[in-house]
Amino acid sequence: MSDRAVLEKIIQALAEYLKREAAAIKPSHHLRDDLGLDSMAVIELLYKIEEVFNFQIPDQDLVGLTTVDSVAAYVEGRLAPAPTSISPGRRTKSSLKAGTSPKSKKKR
Amino acid sequence: MQARVVITGLGVVSPIGVGIDEFWKAALAGRSGISGITGFDPFSMDGYRSKVAGQVRDFSPERYIDRVQADRVDRYAQFALVAAKEALADSGLRMEKEDAHRVGVIVGAGMGGMVMGEREITQLYNYQKPHRVHPNFIPVITLNSASGIVAMAYGAKGPNVTISTACSSSAHALGQGLHCIREGRADVVIVVGADASITPLVFAGFCSLRALSSKFNDHPEKASRPFDRGRDGFVMGEGAGALILESLAHAKKRKARIYAEAAGYAATSEAYHMVIPREDGEEVAVTMKLALADAGAIPAQVDYINAHATSTAIGDAVEAKAIRRLFRSRADKIAVSATKSLVGHTLGAAGAIGAIASVLALYSGQIHPTANYDDPDPACELAGISNTAQERKVRTALLNAFGFGSNNAAVVLTRYAA
Repeated sequence: MSDRAVLEKIIQALAEYLKREAAAIKPSHHLRDDLGLDSMAVIELLYKIEEVFNFQIPDQDLVGLTTVDSVAAYVEGRLAPAPTSISPGRRTKSSLKAGTSPKSKKKR
Repeated sequence: MQARVVITGLGVVSPIGVGIDEFWKAALAGRSGISGITGFDPFSMDGYRSKVAGQVRDFSPERYIDRVQADRVDRYAQFALVAAKEALADSGLRMEKEDAHRVGVIVGAGMGGMVMGEREITQLYNYQKPHRVHPNFIPVITLNSASGIVAMAYGAKGPNVTISTACSSSAHALGQGLHCIREGRADVVIVVGADASITPLVFAGFCSLRALSSKFNDHPEKASRPFDRGRDGFVMGEGAGALILESLAHAKKRKARIYAEAAGYAATSEAYHMVIPREDGEEVAVTMKLALADAGAIPAQVDYINAHATSTAIGDAVEAKAIRRLFRSRADKIAVSATKSLVGHTLGAAGAIGAIASVLALYSGQIHPTANYDDPDPACELAGISNTAQERKVRTALLNAFGFGSNNAAVVLTRYAA
């Protein structure tokens, strides 16, 4: 799958979730600050992405998934053939970026 | 004049022991009750992000209660029956001497009869034989099955209510029990918190919610670590706690041993978000303040807080912030402990089990450790949190409990002075 196709699928999933036109969602958009997703909504989005791309996103990988771009980069990393030196898809550049983990918002 | 309310009996079923003596000994030693999940057969744990929980292992209800009775109710209600039985015996209350209509039962339960619930749903969907749904399915999964069976078992004919406010259920049950007696609607209330839903579906749901710890699957005893920098989510637990509440006059009349006084309660809603707390801690601070006001107490009197502290990143930080917000310079002088570090988050039972730990702190002067508090997180550092047991004369204790649906509860318990 081309990088573009991955990005389009993610934008499509977001558009459906947000009930917005896909054209209104830009790769640079921050999930929380620009699109208004709270941590629960991010988790729902990732749940949808797991279904679309048919893999599981471990809790540890949530850190850094803060923009549309970063989610796309993460998904691309997961879909790419795994280098032998690291376990398949467990770590990508995007997953190591600093940022607010959606999980960190959960409570109670 | 409003009746004063005291606590005269305790009972518990927990991952660190069935019975108060076993529970308290383990709690003071800081022993973790968290272990790898067993019993999901035929499900493998492979698909679960988290694989650990605070399970009540080797629980045989027939050791404690009638076998036929145990067989007719779900696991959470069995826990409730066992805890209530111990609490009643501990209180010395003799039901045959009581006006049964003056003895109430208030149960807090978050999930209810999920063991049978999941089994029957699975069978129906797999085999599509509606006539094979168990005849006891509805009575068992109805959320007041525990408060019903406890009343039946022990002959309590007073107010019989179930409160379901997720993780704060039994803190509200305790508060409502206090108000019920205070307002003169009962002399005695058997307060119980119970939940037993470490079941394949519920556990999967909490995993999907990304609420559970998943970093410590290979070291279960390390997974529940409230206030510690390495915490990564809560650990599910199961169990029940029971407390016998009665009016002071009633307790005195029968010369009962008094553990502590239930002095105040507040219930609020953050009206904010289903699962996320307000990050400034304001609503939690208000709840604690209102509970103290209900007790006729002021923040400067509080010596101990049994924190809600589930071991989630945001929840613990918000609670610590709220404590600082309300208590200001006193915040570091208050002993704080998180019972969930030992037993996990027992959901509907959490408030009652935390209340038991608080009552025992008031009564014995000993405060159990917060297990795994090894690397204090600056975001929720309070000087009174310790990973070892503390000795301190506690006069006023505060119990916090917060639940999904944006609800908060706080209960004030005080040392009883004759």
